[in-house]
Amino acid sequence: MSESLADATQIGGTPNSSDGPPPVTPVAPGGNADPVTSNVLYADHITIRFGGLVAVNDVSFAIPPKSVISLIGPNGAGKTTFFNVLTGLYEASEGTVYLNGKDVTPIKPHKRAAMGMARTFQNIRLFGLMTAEENVMVAMHPHLKSGVLSTIFRTPGQRREEREARDTARELLEYVGIGKAEGELARNLSYGDQRRLEIARAMALRPKILLLDEPTAGMNPQESQQFNDFVYRVRDERDMSVLLIEHDMSVIMKISERITVLDRGNLIAEGTPDDIRNNQTVIEAYLGKTGTREGKRNKS
Amino acid sequence: MATSTAPRTSAPSPSRRSLSHYRWPIGYVVVIVGLFLLYHFILPNLVTQVSGPVTAWLPVATLNECLMWAIMALGLNVVVGYAGLLDLGYVAFWALGGYTAGWLMAAPFNWTWDFHLFGAVAKTYPGTHITFWLVILIAGVLCAILGLIIGAPTLRLRGDYLALVTLGFGEVITQFFRNSNDIAGRNLAGGDGGISIIDPIGTGPFGATGLVPPGLSNGAQDNVYKILVLGLLVGACLFISLRIREGRLGRAWLAIREDELAASMMGVPLVRTKLLAYAVGAFFGGIGGVANAAGITGAVSPSGFDFGKSVLVLLMVVLGGMGNVWGVTVGAFLLAWLNSNGLKQIGVQLDSWFGTTLTATLPRYNYIILGLLLVLMMLYRREGLIPEKRTKALMNTPSRTEMESMGAESLEAAAETAAVEKADAKTDAGIAASAAAVSPVLDESTPKREDRS
Amino acid sequence: MATLVVGGTKRKAKVRLGPVVERALGFVVLGLVAIWLIANIVSDPNRFLGSALVGLQNGLLYALVALGYTMVYGIIELINFAHGDLFMLSTIVAAGLMVSVMGVGQLGVGTILPLIVALIVCMAFGGFINVSAEFLAYRRLRSAPKLAPLMTAVGLSFIFRGIAQQDYVNGSAQKNWAVVWGGPVVEGVFVYKLLMVIVVTVPLLLAMTYIVSKTKVGKAMRAVAQDQDGARLMGINVNGTISFVFALGGALAGAAGVLYFLVQTQTYYDTGTQLGLIAFTAAVLGGIGNLTGAVVGGLAIGIIQSINEGGAYGLGSNWSQSVVFLILIVLMVFKPEGIFGRPTTEKV
Repeated sequence: MSESLADATQIGGTPNSSDGPPPVTPVAPGGNADPVTSNVLYADHITIRFGGLVAVNDVSFAIPPKSVISLIGPNGAGKTTFFNVLTGLYEASEGTVYLNGKDVTPIKPHKRAAMGMARTFQNIRLFGLMTAEENVMVAMHPHLKSGVLSTIFRTPGQRREEREARDTARELLEYVGIGKAEGELARNLSYGDQRRLEIARAMALRPKILLLDEPTAGMNPQESQQFNDFVYRVRDERDMSVLLIEHDMSVIMKISERITVLDRGNLIAEGTPDDIRNNQTVIEAYLGKTGTREGKRNKS
Repeated sequence: MATSTAPRTSAPSPSRRSLSHYRWPIGYVVVIVGLFLLYHFILPNLVTQVSGPVTAWLPVATLNECLMWAIMALGLNVVVGYAGLLDLGYVAFWALGGYTAGWLMAAPFNWTWDFHLFGAVAKTYPGTHITFWLVILIAGVLCAILGLIIGAPTLRLRGDYLALVTLGFGEVITQFFRNSNDIAGRNLAGGDGGISIIDPIGTGPFGATGLVPPGLSNGAQDNVYKILVLGLLVGACLFISLRIREGRLGRAWLAIREDELAASMMGVPLVRTKLLAYAVGAFFGGIGGVANAAGITGAVSPSGFDFGKSVLVLLMVVLGGMGNVWGVTVGAFLLAWLNSNGLKQIGVQLDSWFGTTLTATLPRYNYIILGLLLVLMMLYRREGLIPEKRTKALMNTPSRTEMESMGAESLEAAAETAAVEKADAKTDAGIAASAAAVSPVLDESTPKREDRS
Repeated sequence: MATLVVGGTKRKAKVRLGPVVERALGFVVLGLVAIWLIANIVSDPNRFLGSALVGLQNGLLYALVALGYTMVYGIIELINFAHGDLFMLSTIVAAGLMVSVMGVGQLGVGTILPLIVALIVCMAFGGFINVSAEFLAYRRLRSAPKLAPLMTAVGLSFIFRGIAQQDYVNGSAQKNWAVVWGGPVVEGVFVYKLLMVIVVTVPLLLAMTYIVSKTKVGKAMRAVAQDQDGARLMGINVNGTISFVFALGGALAGAAGVLYFLVQTQTYYDTGTQLGLIAFTAAVLGGIGNLTGAVVGGLAIGIIQSINEGGAYGLGSNWSQSVVFLILIVLMVFKPEGIFGRPTTEKV
């Protein structure tokens, strides 16, 4: 227990043992930076109650720019509920959500999407009857400007905008690796391609933060590795932060700069992968208090 | 994962369309012009044995009615077929359109001013007489505004509630017009009597040449010209309907129909997008209302607007093929014909074959037949006669947003809530304490900066 | 090097204005309604009494019809558009049976037997039609998008109206029947009429409550309403339960039809649409899916409508539909769960 304490409070970074993300320096409280404006996404003391139940209890959460953060926890931890509050699907009972320095708590999901928060879904929710290209173009809605009249009369401006949108869509499809599938109906794509399409679609929103809900579910190890590389590329090339909900520990440990752990609505741990790996509370939360024999398995 | 040779299934960009892509619009123009020529030139010169049955089975008046209904059906198609909103009160826009014609193209009750603007009647007539062509635009805009007013609070409701609320609006607006002869002591729209003697459709420059009468009254001769006028209006509606579906609005509508929640998460503003569909549909309704008042009935009264008419238009859209403008037009023609003349003619035919007395009775079964048709369509061919590509799939599986009210997002969240239910407060306190020990960054007890509010 | 900046700020939790404002508005509305009622009572107590009695009478009828709506909605989330028209058909059946077949003219003690016969026949009729509709049409559409069963219900509504409009059934105009009420009259309200409505309606409502809360099939209903698949896994006959609910709803519509005919002594093909809207508003007001709510909503709407029509400060019968409809709109927009319902988490 004391080791992880030392790790967590160490100023100056902890070299990660794997060839993973660059080291992360937590800034101790009392520093000059305002968490609201220096983070892409900042959730401040979020509590979510349904009737008398507290699903999420006073959780604060920060995602800096160009970072990869994971949110993990056993089943029933409140991860999805919390995710839904971040994206605006649920209203928090208490607390505030800041996106790019602005308070988005009262703002509806579609506006948050337009402001730069994009997500994928745990059970893929593509528009099956539209082509891959069209799926991506739907997400460009906030960034396109043509109105009803210019659409009816196919003004040069509208036509140009459509052309550019199609080009951007194709480029995004190439970027995620399914460039050849642009004319294919989304429901006819393979599972892996559908996952990629969902990400391409989310990226069409030009987000500052990409929220991925169990993106590697159903992937084999090779695909998971491809996914890891992809996440780094996205973070570095596209200036985005990525927030993942995941259960696959190998992906989490390799890819995350920081990990937040929830259990039954409470934030029980927060730190680098090494911190979490050794954290007794986390291990117990996942496995119950039935001894640490299984705990050793948790180290990826 | 061989996707490299997948055929393109999305529409090619406009510059690359071949002639065959235009086969429906061309066909439409041919039919309209052909019908005009038929009734104007050919039939009067044919012998009665031939022209008789043609005019019996499809009199010009019925043909005009069919065209007018097509306008309405195309309008509702935008609402139901494109955006997937079940509107059972569409008749409200029809009514408003008709009354706009009554207000701007007649000399109603006690109004005492004279205002002429290219009107189709002589300048000596009292009252307001604005040209038909301007009035349809005004009515369209007024109805679009009404649509925005009705839609703004209600379009966020789910499907079945929306249906009932729109039904209610239809009834209320009709009731408003029925009471309109005494609203706060003023006569606004003639009450039960309505407004009669509405101006005919003015032909403007064409009328001036002498080839065509200056105003198309309800006479048999003038009615033939209305084929062209109404055909033009339907053509405009077809054009607008087809064009408006391209681009981001069309994609947004389709996305909403498939999965409203995902669409909203991808930046599509749900209420605003639905409102647009509703307003466009209302616009068409206004045009149809004016066309009906000025071109077909010559008057407007509350008895012409009832729930039955709303359902009739809905049936046209459903029967024809929701979302497919050509299907909807065909559906409108078919049902309008059936309702106005067809049943009677079938009765006449059956009478002459079997000696029955169906001529009088068959038309009275129209509502039963129409209701039966709607039920059978829903059971066996939801996509309609000439379906739109995606409607068949959409109508056979419920949308994601319906199946699970929010999908995994809410099922999982519900599971999480259930897990919390079983939580133990003492254990939770222990967990929270150890969390604080692990991550002092988040620990409340360390000194904090000042609040910034 | 990425830096993580986290600090617990002591920003105050924002009070969600939404629920607070909503509750305040709700109280304002209730207050206004109370003031309106009191104004009516004070200005003309006799008229108020008369209107209140009529309201009670109508309200109980609305409650019966609303109950049918709410039960069907509760179990398969379908607004049965044809429910009001089924009620309308039953008024015609009752009229035909009681007047043409049994020769009822002057209503008195001797008409109790025909009343019972009519009730039995019409309830059976209503139940039968409803169950058939479910079996032939709605059942097949259970897995289809909501648009399909909705439109089917609209189609059925049309069929019912069309049938009623035939000359050999009821014709296109309102049909007045030569049925005369006697007995004491209080402020324009026939006491026996009111009594009859109460005596028939209250036991029916109690019976429904009993069935739903105390019987095995009632438990099955509640289970199916909550979770169809789960209920099926428990061995509950889901199809049978749904059919049973439709039968109950139809029977209630049938009973309401008999009463309506006797109260109004007229039949009209359009009654179903108008009354259906009112009854649905009542169901929503009380909380759709909630049986007590349907009754409370029915009474509330009945009284509001009758005071609007007959009281000193009202808009008159010309505007009744609009008033009721306005109530529906406001409910749907601000409080779709009604009085007794639980707030849903559905968001747009």
